[in-house]
Amino acid sequence: MCSWRWWLPLLAASVRTLAGQEVPRLQARADSLAREWRRANALADMVDSLNHARAAGGTDTISVGALRIVTNPSPARLRQAAARAWPVIDSLYGTEARQLEQRPYLIAPYDPDTTSPKPMLRGAIQVPWDKDVASLVMILLTNVPIGRPDAALQNWLGGPVLPIVHPEPARAAVYVQLVTAPSQAARSCFLGVMSDCRTALALVDSPDPLRQWYPSAAEQRALVFKSFAEFLTFSDHGAHKPALQSCRAGSDSACRELLRSLPPGALPRPLTYDARAALVHLALRLGGREAYHRLVATPGKPIADRLAGAAGVSVDSLVSQWRSEILAARPAPVTVPPWGPWAALGWTAVFAVCALRSSRWRVS
Amino acid sequence: MFRVMLYSQWKWSRLIVALGSIAAFALPIVSVQGAARADSNPLRAGELLQAVQAWGTLYPVLAAALGLLVAIATWAPDHRGRHVHALSLPLPRWRYVLLRFGAGGTLLAAPVIAVAAGALLATWSATIPAGLQGYPVALAIRFALAVLVAYAVFFAVSAGTARTAGIMLGLIGGVILVQIIAGVANLDLDLFGKLQIVVLNWPGPLAIFSGRWMLIDV
Repeated sequence: MCSWRWWLPLLAASVRTLAGQEVPRLQARADSLAREWRRANALADMVDSLNHARAAGGTDTISVGALRIVTNPSPARLRQAAARAWPVIDSLYGTEARQLEQRPYLIAPYDPDTTSPKPMLRGAIQVPWDKDVASLVMILLTNVPIGRPDAALQNWLGGPVLPIVHPEPARAAVYVQLVTAPSQAARSCFLGVMSDCRTALALVDSPDPLRQWYPSAAEQRALVFKSFAEFLTFSDHGAHKPALQSCRAGSDSACRELLRSLPPGALPRPLTYDARAALVHLALRLGGREAYHRLVATPGKPIADRLAGAAGVSVDSLVSQWRSEILAARPAPVTVPPWGPWAALGWTAVFAVCALRSSRWRVS
Repeated sequence: MFRVMLYSQWKWSRLIVALGSIAAFALPIVSVQGAARADSNPLRAGELLQAVQAWGTLYPVLAAALGLLVAIATWAPDHRGRHVHALSLPLPRWRYVLLRFGAGGTLLAAPVIAVAAGALLATWSATIPAGLQGYPVALAIRFALAVLVAYAVFFAVSAGTARTAGIMLGLIGGVILVQIIAGVANLDLDLFGKLQIVVLNWPGPLAIFSGRWMLIDV
């Protein structure tokens, strides 16, 4: 009985002591487990991020001729596209196309069917990897990373010298421009006045482009109301409204002054980029593989002389040939093919036969 | 027999034909109204083309409307009389249908002639800038073909029974349903696009309606 009396407090004391020792030990173990768990997580994150970095950073280089494409691994048919684009690029830039060895395209194809983040390749053209070859060729041709020519050439042309993807429709569009542009120079060029072709193509330097491009009062009035009526109505808090009304009422001088008040470079040239691009392409075609080099190598000369130098023929001959090509590309006015009427009559007969075989009179 | 049928059909559809002919005559003239003025500016060739193109969309609409209305008017009295008159005639069915078709087609010559006359008058009176040309004959021929095709289509539909119409509507509904299901299932299936290509591109049945209808063009 006595022994029991001693044992019980001893047991209680020892349990209390044990409990007091267990909690910090278990706490320490839990802390260490948490530490291990955090470390494992960090390791897993690192592995994951390394995998991501490898996926994003791993690049292939596709080479066709001098054309280089730096891209991330994907099933995109860039090589086939490059094989089709390179001859076009090479024929346009000639020897200068060698620049592309040092100026690769950066293309980052991405999976179009997932919502996972697109690969990041700084400055790259992003395309879905299932894009067809024709579209990829188009992308390559409209984004040739060749060195930009000098500002004078770009200003005259209205953009960089790029391959024309569909030359025949582009020339047909220029034909329509020659006929429809609100410019007597363009119209005279269409009718065969070569000096007006040079004017319409803005090949003649002049201190007064308005007088050169749109000399007549009718052209100037047409230009004011076709292209600038809205701008002139609201610009400068409506300061041009009285002049605009005078121009509308028939005052030629008011129309002229309105056009002269436009900001520098705002006056549209009689023909657009397409017309000048067609001329540049013709010059490069005539001049052979060194033509582009010659064109960009003489930035100080007048544009007409540069084009003539690139083409290896006189400006008159070049412009004359350009006009012939444009006139030859006259778009087809009638959209019905020659056998179209027969097809329409055939369908009429088919539907008439359907009516003959109608079941309305059958006895049921 | 044909003359009798033509007369009866004229009585039923003379209002449609008369109004259609007036519209057909006026359309080409209205489309070049800016260029027909004495003070018209030859430099505004682009605006003239735009106007002609904008008005040009009404030619296929007019052709389809004329085809539809004349086809309906051709069959309406027969449907109303439950074809008793037609069955009482000593004619085989195919011949009766052919006579009806011919009579309706003949009446549609009036708006076609009106388009041709209007187009000729419009191109003659307009100041057409250099580089542009009038195509009145081509436009009239195309309008004639479009009217004929539209008339034949609606004539066939109108000659059919309610069951035939139901089958056709069912087919169209089926295509729409499949397209919707494909869209929901995220399938790469473009039935409408394919159907449009088949129907509206040459040599499709409605290809004559598609494209630009230009009285004046380059």
